[in-house]
Amino acid sequence: RFRFCGDLDCPDWVLAEISTLSKITSVKMKLLCVQVIKMLLGQDIDYNKVYKITADAKFEEGDVKACIAALNFIIASASKYGVDEDSLSNELLQLGLPKEHTTSLGKSYGDSLHKLQDQFKKDSLKLTQLESVEWRVDYIISSSLLKDINEPCVQLKMNVKSTKSEKVEPVSFTASADKFRVFLNELKQASSMMDSLTSS
Amino acid sequence: MLLMFDDKHKNHLSFLLDIDIAVLQEFCKISLEFIKKGANPKVYQGAAQKLSVPAETVQNGVEGLMYLLTESSKLMISEIDFQDSILTLGFREDMQRELLALYLTHRREVRAILSEMAMDVPHYHNLEWRLDVQLASRALQRQITPIVTMKLQTKDGEDMMSHVLQTDPVNLVHLTKVLDEALQEIKSPYCRRIFRNIK
Repeated sequence: RFRFCGDLDCPDWVLAEISTLSKITSVKMKLLCVQVIKMLLGQDIDYNKVYKITADAKFEEGDVKACIAALNFIIASASKYGVDEDSLSNELLQLGLPKEHTTSLGKSYGDSLHKLQDQFKKDSLKLTQLESVEWRVDYIISSSLLKDINEPCVQLKMNVKSTKSEKVEPVSFTASADKFRVFLNELKQASSMMDSLTSS
Repeated sequence: MLLMFDDKHKNHLSFLLDIDIAVLQEFCKISLEFIKKGANPKVYQGAAQKLSVPAETVQNGVEGLMYLLTESSKLMISEIDFQDSILTLGFREDMQRELLALYLTHRREVRAILSEMAMDVPHYHNLEWRLDVQLASRALQRQITPIVTMKLQTKDGEDMMSHVLQTDPVNLVHLTKVLDEALQEIKSPYCRRIFRNIK
């Protein structure tokens, strides 16, 4: 029923944490939002600052973790479904968060919505990724089996980042002129198909 | 249920019988740290120098105390049983009270640490998914096939394994239906009866 949850029900634990979040002042809420958004953008969260912010409300460690988790869910889920800041503020008001809190949360969310969406797009699941390609063309003059060969060949090395280990591994192979022509042709077909899709 | 101590254990703990109560408290703290984080040999050296005994005796004393604590927490023995067990070792009145207090306050924590050491199958850590549409391949162009790609990460103690899986949407709906049915099974009357009896 809530847009920021993707038209589903809001999870029970988030509803429970709304009351914990209402205990801190809206200024502190804004500072907490800034910290959570920093964490979502991939930087480390500074727990000392968080503890200082929540010290006034005398939160225990469990409460601090719960607040961060709830804010994390709200902001990440809202940017995932592309909710604008006014609708987010309205829906949080319906859930019981006080008005000043919803406006401050909405404002910090609205400021960083595009950055969050870009970051999430980058973090989306990718299988193996091509990092770089290196090539070299050789000319084979002769070998132990045949005296005169006189043919060019190309050696390709592709650096691939694997899914499992985050390490970059090289994949290398050699191709004769004909095989390489076929390879290049197929890749050109795929490339033209991708171009037609990106332009339309 | 009384704890049985073998002779070597009694030997190790005998060192602790004639020390001050303050030193005993220090030893209790050191054993707790040992349970939580592992042994710290430097602390043994410092303590051995202060008490002018060899470091090995200190280490044996700490390990003996730690074993006492883990065994009693493992078996979840009552206060009376704990007191009777350490009575046989020959500790003084106040030291017995100290050990009892230590056992009662930290019993739950030690049990939590022990529960993590049980053997385990790999369990769920993270699932990322992606919805793609396959438009063409080398063999067949101009197709529209939706595919869901998932990366399931499982954790087994320290090792993380990731599995890459692909499925079409119909299969995914079937998968979610089967998993949902498994969750609903918990609410069936049969399961409820069993839970009631366990409690």
